[in-house]
Amino acid sequence: MNQPILMRYTTLAFRNLRRRRVRTALTVAGVALAVMVGVALGGFMLGYRGAIDRSIDMLGFQVMIMAKGCPYEAATMMLKGGTGLLYLPADTFDKVRSDQAVESITPVFVGVAQKEGSGIRDGAKEAAFTVISGVEPASYLVMKPWLRLKAGAGFENGRWFKPESEDEIVLGFEAAEYEQRKVGDDFYATIQPAGKPDALRRRFKVVGVLERTGTQDDGTVFMPIRAARLAFNRPNELTILGIKLKDFNSFKLREFENRWLKLPEVQVVGLQQVKTTLIGLVATAQTMIAAVAAIAILVALLGVVNAILMSVYERTGEIGIMKALGARRGDIFQLVWLETLILCLLGSLVGSAAAVVGAGVVERAIRSLADLGVSGSIVSITPKVLAYAVLGSTALGCFAGLYPAWRASSMRPVDAIREGASQ
Amino acid sequence: MKPLIEAKGLKRYYRRGVETVKALDGVDVSIGEGEMVSILGPSGSGKTTLINLLSCLDAPSEGTLTVAGKPAAGLTEDQLVELRRGTLGFVFQQFHLLPTLTVAENVELPLVFLGRSVERRKTLEILSWVGLEDRASHLPNELSGGQMQRVAIARALSIEPRILVADEPTGNLDKKSGRMIFDLFKRLAREKGLAVLITTHNTAFGYEADRVITLEDGRIVREERPART
Repeated sequence: MNQPILMRYTTLAFRNLRRRRVRTALTVAGVALAVMVGVALGGFMLGYRGAIDRSIDMLGFQVMIMAKGCPYEAATMMLKGGTGLLYLPADTFDKVRSDQAVESITPVFVGVAQKEGSGIRDGAKEAAFTVISGVEPASYLVMKPWLRLKAGAGFENGRWFKPESEDEIVLGFEAAEYEQRKVGDDFYATIQPAGKPDALRRRFKVVGVLERTGTQDDGTVFMPIRAARLAFNRPNELTILGIKLKDFNSFKLREFENRWLKLPEVQVVGLQQVKTTLIGLVATAQTMIAAVAAIAILVALLGVVNAILMSVYERTGEIGIMKALGARRGDIFQLVWLETLILCLLGSLVGSAAAVVGAGVVERAIRSLADLGVSGSIVSITPKVLAYAVLGSTALGCFAGLYPAWRASSMRPVDAIREGASQ
Repeated sequence: MKPLIEAKGLKRYYRRGVETVKALDGVDVSIGEGEMVSILGPSGSGKTTLINLLSCLDAPSEGTLTVAGKPAAGLTEDQLVELRRGTLGFVFQQFHLLPTLTVAENVELPLVFLGRSVERRKTLEILSWVGLEDRASHLPNELSGGQMQRVAIARALSIEPRILVADEPTGNLDKKSGRMIFDLFKRLAREKGLAVLITTHNTAFGYEADRVITLEDGRIVREERPART
């Protein structure tokens, strides 16, 4: 037992906590739950921002021109491939292409089609929708050079469609997986042409399947832009112009915006602006969740204070005896304070571990509650987040332990022994 | 005999609402090394108050008190702790052993507070003195009441005190265990030279001490030296 004093006190504190195992376990569980919520939230905040960054970077554009509308809609359209579809006149492409500041430009036509219930995730009865992107492979691949066609069994001779083709398509990785399609297979979709009363069932030929990118492109069906416009009966319209500027900075972007905002139907959306918009979209929700997490932590701390106070009350006589036997105020303070610290430290470790293990569950839960418009992992529990959680809850534990420790250390031995005898 | 505790005109008042209660009303006591003193008296006579003052657990309202050569009256709570540390050993009616510590660890506990080194050999020696060396690794809930009180005595002895204070040490014990504990106190005074101060309701045990002080209403009404047969 010849350990340094602190070690001896730590051992004593551990032994004291073992006396009421259920209470200790419940208190630790309370702290762990609060820390788990905190860590998951921190991981979500960090992961979501990272996912937005990644998703937007993987768009390959610095600037987009699209039809005037809600900026939130524009932001989701960029990442999800378009649900609130507004269209630009096709000649906007030629007008903008002539701008001296433009290094490269690609037109994209986006439409939503009803596909057949052949996919592995489709219910037997319900119809499923797919995003069809009409693109020009030559200019599109300049923006997204990482797009690669899948090779290997079932994907031999994969290629991009011919620009003049009307029935050739390239499937994103997930679209092909869900539809169980390979190169050479047929793909059926029902398209509602604009202004026509009847939807048309179309048969397409899969000529290529893309490797996984971790972006919205994985779930997209690509086809020649001309064919897409015709299929949706919008021959003179397009959805997005993806642009890379020769010299990209905020000043040049503003100049570019001012030049093209003069067109009445156009809005110019910069990459940074979209990031800010998307982060702004969830900031309010995150603040509310943070408030809930803060309340959970507060409740857990009150639980810790309550548990330690009860324990101090139960041990009044013992504390009196310890003081009679030579324990100073500081000794009792350390002992009780250490118990609080141990509870909080254990809780934070268990909670952090649970958050790491349950990150996948949290991600699935968040995704099931809201469509966040980004692909890839949105919960990123980094060592820094864990360190903050452990240090934060330990610091709060230090604070929470002050009152019970002070109360125990302030007991007069005579009163404590007398009270202990009457308990 | 050199006095280890010397008190003159010791008084202790308490406030109970608007009323002032005189728990102790001018007591003179002197206790020397190797002397065993019993304090007898009915409930409420001031036995515990007196023993609390003499053992520096409480401070007197008036009077002078010297413990182990140091003045003890008028000291603050923290100063009283310093005076007690290493000088006084305590045994109470409630044993208050830490249930998660073994017998040996309970005995060693005061040494942790005093920052002294712990030697298991010494602990076993002390335990053998109270007849419990074979129970060193047991937990308190595996012991009888008498055994627990003997562990409490061993715990008090671990700091090698000069004064041993026992407040109703046999109050929770059967007659046989009480006898064993009292014999132990007598041996401690005789063989180790400790000043032993005991309060008890048990007159038969009390009269086995070297000196018997009887209190009533906060005053000493009788002081006797029982004749030995």
